[in-house]
Amino acid sequence: MELIAKNWYDNLAQGKIMGARCLDCGAFTFPPLSVCRQCNSRNIEWQEISGNGQVIMFSSSILPAKKFAKYAPIPYGIVKLEEGPCFFTKVEGFDCSSPEAIAQENSKLPQKVKAEVQKMEGVNIVVFRKA
Amino acid sequence: MTKRASIIGVGATKFGNILENPELKDKTFQEMVAEAAFEAMDDAGISPDEIDAFIVGNMLSHTSQIYSHSTLLADWLGLRFKGGFHFDTACSTTNTGMGIAWQMVKSGKYKNVLVVAGEILSSVPKGNFPLEREPLDAATLWEWTDFGVDHVYAYHHFYDIASAYGAFPTIGYMKKNGLSFEEMDRVMMAINQTVRKHSALNPKAILYEKGTLEEEAKREGFSSVEEYWRSNKNPFFAWPTRLFSALNAADGATAYIVSSEPERFSKKMPVDIIGFHWCVSNYPWYEDDPTYWEADYRAFKEAYKMANIKPEDLDYLYVHDCMQIYQLILPEVAGYVPFGQAWKYALNGDFAFNGKKPLNVSGGRHGGGHAFEASAGFEVYEIVKQMRGEAGARQIKPFPKIAAQHNHGYGMHSAVTILKAGE
Repeated sequence: MELIAKNWYDNLAQGKIMGARCLDCGAFTFPPLSVCRQCNSRNIEWQEISGNGQVIMFSSSILPAKKFAKYAPIPYGIVKLEEGPCFFTKVEGFDCSSPEAIAQENSKLPQKVKAEVQKMEGVNIVVFRKA
Repeated sequence: MTKRASIIGVGATKFGNILENPELKDKTFQEMVAEAAFEAMDDAGISPDEIDAFIVGNMLSHTSQIYSHSTLLADWLGLRFKGGFHFDTACSTTNTGMGIAWQMVKSGKYKNVLVVAGEILSSVPKGNFPLEREPLDAATLWEWTDFGVDHVYAYHHFYDIASAYGAFPTIGYMKKNGLSFEEMDRVMMAINQTVRKHSALNPKAILYEKGTLEEEAKREGFSSVEEYWRSNKNPFFAWPTRLFSALNAADGATAYIVSSEPERFSKKMPVDIIGFHWCVSNYPWYEDDPTYWEADYRAFKEAYKMANIKPEDLDYLYVHDCMQIYQLILPEVAGYVPFGQAWKYALNGDFAFNGKKPLNVSGGRHGGGHAFEASAGFEVYEIVKQMRGEAGARQIKPFPKIAAQHNHGYGMHSAVTILKAGE
């Protein structure tokens, strides 16, 4: 089997954010897995995502993951990708400084966002920024 | 296949803190587990000699310092030379155990199987010596717990359990039902009031000693429960979810015995396992409706089918309530109340033990406490006690005859088991 996770993270290092299109059912899986998440087919082809999406929900925890605690408060959202799937990650440009700010931001959703690669704690990851 | 797979005995330790609670203090993991197992054996009137096999749940080896659970517990349980193994579906483990034990006794290979689990979340041994423990901080506890979440991608993308498991499903429920934040906050307080009403009646619950939410508000110097709910004593864990709507981590152990020959042992009423189903999906990969998790729908549907019952046959329901929003979402998924209506039931107090749709009467994962792999066993204990009429001050009347138990194993293993009062 071809390497999947390593290739995905290696692509991020090149600034390319990849997903996987199923050649059997057409569904899009993001990030790529060993099969299509919809129909379980292994007949999949990697495609670069457009990077366009919408934040549909947004919040921030007072107990973030230990790895990221020093960045708190962290704006965290569900991003609906143009290609279909939802992805959970940090969303830049959203005010999470208080519960009132989070409530206010939620009242303005959905909000268009654009993907970018950020290196966090030595790992390249995908975050989204207000478009 | 043998005819029956019946729960003939149940046991549970106090859920609390092994560093503080007198019922747990200075016990080792082995002793805690043995205490629950012996209560179950005594409840069933069965000796260890008659138990053919035992299966053990425990998630955080960091705190129990055990890998080969069955071998290391055999002597403590009086089960040397019996069959045994460790099994694990995270927080649904002792729910899943009912289905596993069902298969073990139904096959005829085993007649009496002990299912037991223990968890310690408060503390870790110093220098690997179990009697010297130091408190475990919340950030480290969740760092270890989050191994239940996808670590190839999700965790490294700022994974946030309070949002993914609490806030987003709550926002989803508000949107779906046209509820404002203020209305939803009132509903969440009502849920918590019922949770605390239940835990105040359950001596084994972690919050038993703290009484009801109303009593606590008064003790803390607030003029009303509403004022207390909205105070900085109850901050937002992740807006719109407040801290009191989340679990309380606990130490504890639970046990039950599944038998194909209940008439040989207990003089008490056995409880039959009549259906179960497990359904898994990787987490947090739900889509744009955070209140819709297909694994839950499938687990309920198939468990009902196996048990040959309909949702309207249920007299009692337990749903996994690590976050109390699931006390709204899952009773609707289960068909226990109509879609879009659970929030009204919560506001009316209908989910109380003496309400028209009793739900999570043990106090659940907030009031009862959450000792991860032992927690579902706390609910098996509750259902068996309720069906026998042994639940004391929180007894549901008339005694429930058919019950469904749902658990989420992080994440996300949906387990549903259907239990029926035996004869």
